[in-house]
Amino acid sequence: MNTTTLQIIMSIVHYFFFIFSAVAITSYIILAVISAIETIEYVKKNSFVNYKEILSSTFSPSISIIAPAYNESLNIVENVRSLLSSHYVNYDVIIVNDGSKDDSLSKLIEAYDLIQISHHINEHIKTKPLRKGIYKSTNPAFDKLTVIDKENGGKADALNMGLNISKNKYVACIDVDCLLLEDALQKMIKPFLETTDAKVIAAGGVIRIANSCIVKDGKLLDINFPKTWLEQGQILEYLRAFLLGRMAWSRLNGLLVISGAFGLFDKKIAIKVGGYDTNTVGEDMEIIVRMRRYMEDEKQKYKVAYIPDPLCWTEAPDNYKTFISQRNRWTRGTIETLKKHRKIGFNPKYKSLGLLSYPYWFFFERMAPVIEVAGIIYFGILTVLNEVRWDYTFAFVILAYLFSVLFSIVAIVSEELTYHQYKKKSIGFKLIMIAFLEPFVNHPYILYSAIKGNIDYYFYKKIEWGTMTRKGMTKA
Amino acid sequence: MNENLYLLESLKHSSPIIQLAWGLSSIFFIIILMLIMYLKYLRNHLRENEKIKAKYQEDYESYLVTYLYSGNEDDTFSSEQQLIINELKKCVADPFKRKIIISTLLKLRNEISGEIAESIDKLFIKLGLLRYSLAKLRNEKWDIIAIGIRELTQFKIKGVHKIIMNNINHPKREVRKEMQLYLVHLYAFKGLDFLNVLETSLSEWDQIQLLEVLQLNNDTEIADIRPWLKSSNDSVVIFTLKLAKVYNQFEAKEELIELLNHKSEDVRVNVISALSHLNIVEAKNILKNNFNERSHEEQIAFLKMMENVYENSDKPFLLEHIHHKKFEIKLFVMGILKNINFEEYALYEVELKKMLTA
Repeated sequence: MNTTTLQIIMSIVHYFFFIFSAVAITSYIILAVISAIETIEYVKKNSFVNYKEILSSTFSPSISIIAPAYNESLNIVENVRSLLSSHYVNYDVIIVNDGSKDDSLSKLIEAYDLIQISHHINEHIKTKPLRKGIYKSTNPAFDKLTVIDKENGGKADALNMGLNISKNKYVACIDVDCLLLEDALQKMIKPFLETTDAKVIAAGGVIRIANSCIVKDGKLLDINFPKTWLEQGQILEYLRAFLLGRMAWSRLNGLLVISGAFGLFDKKIAIKVGGYDTNTVGEDMEIIVRMRRYMEDEKQKYKVAYIPDPLCWTEAPDNYKTFISQRNRWTRGTIETLKKHRKIGFNPKYKSLGLLSYPYWFFFERMAPVIEVAGIIYFGILTVLNEVRWDYTFAFVILAYLFSVLFSIVAIVSEELTYHQYKKKSIGFKLIMIAFLEPFVNHPYILYSAIKGNIDYYFYKKIEWGTMTRKGMTKA
Repeated sequence: MNENLYLLESLKHSSPIIQLAWGLSSIFFIIILMLIMYLKYLRNHLRENEKIKAKYQEDYESYLVTYLYSGNEDDTFSSEQQLIINELKKCVADPFKRKIIISTLLKLRNEISGEIAESIDKLFIKLGLLRYSLAKLRNEKWDIIAIGIRELTQFKIKGVHKIIMNNINHPKREVRKEMQLYLVHLYAFKGLDFLNVLETSLSEWDQIQLLEVLQLNNDTEIADIRPWLKSSNDSVVIFTLKLAKVYNQFEAKEELIELLNHKSEDVRVNVISALSHLNIVEAKNILKNNFNERSHEEQIAFLKMMENVYENSDKPFLLEHIHHKKFEIKLFVMGILKNINFEEYALYEVELKKMLTA
């Protein structure tokens, strides 16, 4: 290869990285602007909503909260109490004990006076069989609760069992350790009931990080800011994702994912598409893509809604090992879903789903970390070959860094203008600090996990339930 | 100093793309600084605002409680009340304080009832707040109009319904909803006349709200719902079917039975549910005769109806569907058969259990 050819190749590589970065940044800006407009509009509209009437109405639609649990003995009793404390009137709670090896079931039996019952299961979706059976409480105070003890089959399988058991029109699939706010169900059901020009098939809400927050009797009492940079960085990351991204995708009707921590689904459609896929670690994203694909194939007008209100608080990883494992799983989930539904990508038949959402996810979620790491390696090679133009390097590294800081600060401002959840005095400064530090303290680990996720996907295919060690939220 | 000049000089001679990158970086840097300062101001402002708001709210609440319990027996204002009115009137001119006064009035209004609640409504007018609410109806912004209507609803200001009715087909759902709630809050069933001319869809959410407001009202005079059952707006028909259930409208039996052949499946499902609730057994034979032509949802709704109105003579029909391919239908049929004759059909249940219980 002569020098000219090499130079041409290098130029192409340079242009590729440059164009990719420019398009990514432009898309972030566009999404942020749409999100901001949409959030302001939502907050304005929401000020006219009276949620009280839906609470007491006999016409309010029925919802089943399905919460799979695997070895959650530490907090299971308190978590179930939190799920049972919703203000919504017409709902029940289905806890699916997915073959836990600990004493979760006996704790539930004792705390909620459960007895085994006989029950016909309509097996719409094939699942692992029951282990000890189905339990209901003898105490009328807990008549909304059903506990299912089944053989281990993973989170998706447990959710599918819940879908089979539920007799209600809507199902809220939630992580059992999530702290659901008392008004979460009525807020989530609203888009299903008020949309008249399309069928709402699913709705997702904002997930907030509960580390260091004070919780009592399943209720959030005090919002605090965690101490470690890792946790703080995740708070900022969630603010960016939920306030500056998902709202825009909702507006464009292009949401491809609803957080597995809390989402509400039209049960009929969820069952029609076959429920959750048990062969992926990204079942939360996969089911949304499949439901959307089904609606597109059926040529039915539909919508995946998104609520920007903070409705659900969850514990985030507080150490790098768990953090890496979680992000690794997210990466594999994204790869699997995009691969499984590759037919949608760039396919005009699927309109915005195929021409906008899928390509965005493919390039800027699936490929971005790979391209970023490739860029770093390429930079290393150029350094060794003494081919680095340092004037360009400084200019663009600083530009990229300042953009990422600016984007984070815009997310913080959006949060303050809308929900203002972190009210305590020193938190503002800490949020700004972490906006400057996050590219160094969290981002490298996110990149590492993404690459590891790719390697694991292609070389060590394995399905994991997610083995985050729970500490439990801070109790009052 | 020299170094800075050198950097600027080298930037001048660098490629346009580097100049652009540094230019953008400078802009980003300035925006970051501005946003940090704004954030500092915003957080302080929000915190201060909350404190001031709480303080004003406390003050106004104490004024209002004094006002409510210091009235003359002959319905005239006492001197103490007059003093409070004058004090509050001064605050009303300030939009921030006005907002807090209204929210405090509302808070009290929701906590009490009877004559005291009425005196709050009177105070709303006396303070000149009505003028501001009416002015909002003329605003171009939809949210201001909606706030205006809501205030008029909350303080039960009758007599402006003609102005409010202008918004019946307003492009913004929120305005339409506030208008509907105003009419139903203040005029109960008579307020539902807007259904005659409603062109837009009444969402399920709106329907629930209207039903709940109606049920809060003590007015027992129920309107004739039959014309709405013939509405060309399907959402109006569905809402009326709910009214028929809540207010046991047997008088509309003929119209309800006619709706079994409505073009919309949603309407047909809802009418079966209403007929079931009203125990109109005539519908049973009609539905039995064309059960197989009906959708799955209608079949389920009908079987739910059958649970309440079954007779021995229904056995052949039920036996016909005992091996239906749909699980839910099979389960319903089995349940009804069991109710008709437990022993005879217990065997079928055992068989079903074997088949379906894991």
